[in-house]
Order: sequence, then structure tokens, then C-alpha cells
Amino acid sequence: MKRNENREGIKGMVNPGRYGIERVSYWLMRITGLGLLAYLIGHIYETSSILNGKSVWDSMLQLTQTTQGHIILTLVIGMCVFHTVNGIRLMFAHGGIGVGKPTRPDYPYIPNSQNMKNKLCIYASIGVAALAMMYGLSVLFGE
Amino acid sequence: MRESIIMKIHYGTALGAVVLVAVHVLFRITMMSYGDSLQYENVIANYKFVPYAIMLELILVLLSVHGFNGLRVILIELKQGRSYEKAVTYGCLAAMAILIAYGSRTILMTSMGMT
Repeated sequence: MKRNENREGIKGMVNPGRYGIERVSYWLMRITGLGLLAYLIGHIYETSSILNGKSVWDSMLQLTQTTQGHIILTLVIGMCVFHTVNGIRLMFAHGGIGVGKPTRPDYPYIPNSQNMKNKLCIYASIGVAALAMMYGLSVLFGE
Repeated sequence: MRESIIMKIHYGTALGAVVLVAVHVLFRITMMSYGDSLQYENVIANYKFVPYAIMLELILVLLSVHGFNGLRVILIELKQGRSYEKAVTYGCLAAMAILIAYGSRTILMTSMGMT
């Protein structure tokens, strides 16, 4: 077998099936981060319209305060909450908290760091993000 | 700068931003209804309230630093190389500086009544 045939590249990196929820969390963290950065840039551009007076601000509001705008904002809320909660988990993990103690690597080589505590935290991040999105929907559409 | 120092800055900016963004969102939904809080007069009043304007500036700086460093990390994970990494680092720094300057312009001019 040639070396290149064994190389999956980005396809192998994207595949969530092989490494379970940790790989899903890895991708969600990056996708939500990029989404939030895009929103930050858009939000700064959107709010700069206030410098051009009331009429421009009102027309910008008309553009964003629509059903589509509210759906995008709800997604932003979900992304923000997931990124925050999962980010706090990662900070603890990088600090060595909740990743277990190093042991001798014996077959079947289950890493201590990929334990149930971390998996539960990832599921909890997704759950909390879903709840925050529901609250966001109630605030945005409940007026 | 060492990568460990950069990651400490990354985590510090994240924690600071979480607290301040929470206050920013609470301002939108607790003082009055969400729709009313976005009315022109109310937004202008927010900007003219100096502590709030300072908080907005802090949020802008913290999120820009955190966001563009995150982008740099993602891009460096995808591909490596001396010139590529240099280009990504300086590109992200430049984008961060532009975003902070543009956002600060809005905050400063609005809080000083130049609308």
C-alpha cells in the first residue's frame, strides 16, 4: 500500500464516527467559534449604523428584526452557550482537572482523559445550549 | 510570544467576555422589553452612560482578541509552515486591530453625541 492511500486528509479529520462525542465536540467548538466571530463582525457593522441617525438605525432594525433575523439570533444564542460551557470544560481539562491520573498503558489502551465525566459535560453543553435557544425563541417571538 | 502565554490570554479574555456579555444581554432584556431596548433613543442613552460605554469597549477588545486568536489557532491546525504561520498570525493581528478601531469609533462618536 502506498503512503498516500492510507491518508484520509480532511475527510478523516471531519469523520465524527471514529472518535465519538469528543470529535463532535471538537468540531462544534470550531464551527461555533467561527460562527460567533462572523456574528461579532456583523454586529459591529450593524451597530455602526447608529452614527448615521435615527432613520438609518430604524431601517437597519427593520432588516434584522424579522423572522429570519430572530432565527439567526437564536442560533447565535445556542452557539454562544455551547461555546462557553464547552470552553469552560476545556479550560479545566487543559489544567489537568477531570482528566484522571496517568496510568500504565495496557490493552485496550482506553485513555483516562476520555472518561464519562467529560462525555457527560459535552452532552450537558449541548443540552444547556438547546435550553438557552428555547428561552431566546420565547423572548424574541414572545413580544 | 510563547504559545502557553497566548493560551492564558485566550482563556482570560474568554472568562472576562462571558461576564461582560452576560451583563450586556441582561441590559437588553431586564431594563425594558427587548424590542423597546433597541429603539434609537434608548440605544443612544446606553452609549451616553459612561460605565456602559466602557463596558462595550472592553467587550469589543476581549472578544476581538479571543475571536481572532481562535481563528489563528484553527488556521494553524489545518496547515503548518513558517511563512504560512507568520502570514496567519500577522493577518489575524491586522484584522483584530481593524475591528477594534472600527468598533471603538462607533462607541466613542456615539457616546460623545456625534450622531
